[in-house]
Amino acid sequence: MSANSKVALVVVAVVAVVIGVVVSVTRNGSEDNPAGAQPAALVREDSHRLSTAPDGKVTVVEFLDLECGACGAAFPGVERLRAEYGDRVTFVLRYFPIPSHRNAELAAAAVEAAGQQGKLEEMYRMMYETQPSWAGQQVSHRDTFVGFARELGLDTAKFEAALDDPATMARVHADRDDGVTVGVQGTPTFFVNGTVFTGPPSYEGLKSAIDRELAR
Amino acid sequence: MTPFPVRAVPWVLTVGGAIGLLAAFVLAVEKIALLEDPDYVPSCSLNPVLSCGSIMRTPQAEVFGFPNPLLGIVGFAVVLTTGVALLAGARLPGWYWLGLHLGAGLGVLFTHWLAFESLYVIGALCPYCMVVWAVVIPVFWYTTLHNWQRDSRLRDLAVKYHGVVVIVWYLVLGGAVLQAFWTYWTG
Repeated sequence: MSANSKVALVVVAVVAVVIGVVVSVTRNGSEDNPAGAQPAALVREDSHRLSTAPDGKVTVVEFLDLECGACGAAFPGVERLRAEYGDRVTFVLRYFPIPSHRNAELAAAAVEAAGQQGKLEEMYRMMYETQPSWAGQQVSHRDTFVGFARELGLDTAKFEAALDDPATMARVHADRDDGVTVGVQGTPTFFVNGTVFTGPPSYEGLKSAIDRELAR
Repeated sequence: MTPFPVRAVPWVLTVGGAIGLLAAFVLAVEKIALLEDPDYVPSCSLNPVLSCGSIMRTPQAEVFGFPNPLLGIVGFAVVLTTGVALLAGARLPGWYWLGLHLGAGLGVLFTHWLAFESLYVIGALCPYCMVVWAVVIPVFWYTTLHNWQRDSRLRDLAVKYHGVVVIVWYLVLGGAVLQAFWTYWTG
């Protein structure tokens, strides 16, 4: 075997071992959640319900990243569904900020902080409606989000205090941890009555899944 | 005798050019399909991370005002043709090799910038684009080895360990993909 192949093989082997070790270490940390624990983690007592159906027959849970373009693309369809089904279907919002998005966690915290002043839904809408102006950038958009709070008529001092409160971010992370537990792999991920929704999250696709559950 | 990695250049160009051309061509076709029908789900949109549909809709997909794959079709066609011509026994002048080197270098810069955008700004991966990243690297590297005529210890090392350079390059890129989507791969 040539020296070239030998060195190449050694490099590959070393990297493979390192990745294997790192993966097994991280896996051990999260494996204390067996698959059976799923339903509880899907919707918690304190999960944000954007709409609530009195009969509780159908529940749609969305794990979303406010900075993710695919979530922004799904947003108008979800709004339309909420307008049409809001009285019959419970819509639950769960944060799942993806680490490679610079402002995703902060945006989730901003929605959470606005929620403390009763404007969670308004901030959630604001984030998606303005998404192209702040998403995908490598700078902090804290000031932008505080500006949103001002526009919504929130007490900005209280809003910023909530934004800085570690408990706010902990709340966001708790949602994401639940997402990992129930097997969320990316955003947006929808669950319709506990079943993960596969296929493109378009208005039509989600609508037929909801109709199916309503007809059951 | 010409060292092996330099003798391998025609093959690298032929195979690399063919694969790159195919990937760029498919990307262009998918782009057209997406333009015809905005709800079209491209064949490479497998899940939220491996999703070229969302990537194709970004401004980065049309940096120069037209879809990037058009550049790939033109560039890889030249690479493929050059490789085949060399296999057929053609001898090309130095300026041609320099031009090829320059083109491959620009290709490396452009695809790596796109890779960075894909990993850290857009937050999704496009399988066909990754094929292009993977192909551009050896095309550039083996052209470099061919054009690197002046003798030096560094050149001898580069020629001797030509494959190691490619492997390490791949691993760095692969590591970046792994790191950027860590929660996704391990969740």
